[in-house]
Amino acid sequence: MAKDATGVPYSVYWRTWAFLLMLTLVMVILDQAAVPRPVLVLVLLTAMLVKAALIAGTFMHLSQEKLSLALAVVTALLLTGAVLFLLIAPDGLRLFQMKN
Amino acid sequence: MSEAVSREAASRWGGGVSPVGVSWNKLMMWLFIITDGLLFAGFLAAYGFARLASAAWPDRLEVFHLWFISAMTFVLISSSATMATAVGAARRKEGQLVSQMIFATLVGGTIFLAMQAYEWTILIGEGARLHSNPWGVPQFANYFFIITGFHGTHVLTGIVILAVVAARALRGRLSAEGVELAGLYWHFVDLVWVFIFTLFYLI
Repeated sequence: MAKDATGVPYSVYWRTWAFLLMLTLVMVILDQAAVPRPVLVLVLLTAMLVKAALIAGTFMHLSQEKLSLALAVVTALLLTGAVLFLLIAPDGLRLFQMKN
Repeated sequence: MSEAVSREAASRWGGGVSPVGVSWNKLMMWLFIITDGLLFAGFLAAYGFARLASAAWPDRLEVFHLWFISAMTFVLISSSATMATAVGAARRKEGQLVSQMIFATLVGGTIFLAMQAYEWTILIGEGARLHSNPWGVPQFANYFFIITGFHGTHVLTGIVILAVVAARALRGRLSAEGVELAGLYWHFVDLVWVFIFTLFYLI
């Protein structure tokens, strides 16, 4: 089987592609099904993070880089993204309650 | 004395000469990806704030054609797979496969942009503007145009970068690292779309 210089067979990329498409299809079908909203949001967010991890790990070869680089990238993005949202979300909810 | 100092510094540092084990230009690309990712994180966090603070929000299924957006996602994910194959082929020095896969990625990117232009045209035709729209929540179209517009600009930039890489490949001036850096950028564009697709179109 054809492999690139890091030993990754090309088929890994296409299996990842197929899995990403399957996940996307499941997300879209679930979105239009009668799934309780909190469950739907939880499932969609989980699937989104799984897709992001697959793209970063396989397509961007982050899984083959040194752990220090992978940790720097993932921590910086996830942590600051979460902090950003968690800092402003309570204000958003407070505004919502004031309007209602 | 100086030897003792440098030995002490080395023991304190402990990261060796290459703590992240990549070339400087690949590290710079990763740093760019982190900072650009934070830009989109800011946009999406602001959008989340607006959604939470808003008493009502337009029904996505009334505004968007979800299967059309899913087709856009299909095209972008497929272009990411062809780009990953191009990077792998560049490492193996399979020049012809690199050119074919970069060309396929370029086609995918162009189709995605054309589909986005079509989506924008439909929504603008229905009366959506940056500060107003027929669905009752002014911020809705604002966030839609800003977030998808910034992403579309990134796709356009990626197409230009890939065209330059393809031209270099045709002239035999291909560097495996050049293809890999372009690939990192392209996958990042795909990665951002995964978040936009879920947070803006699905939730």
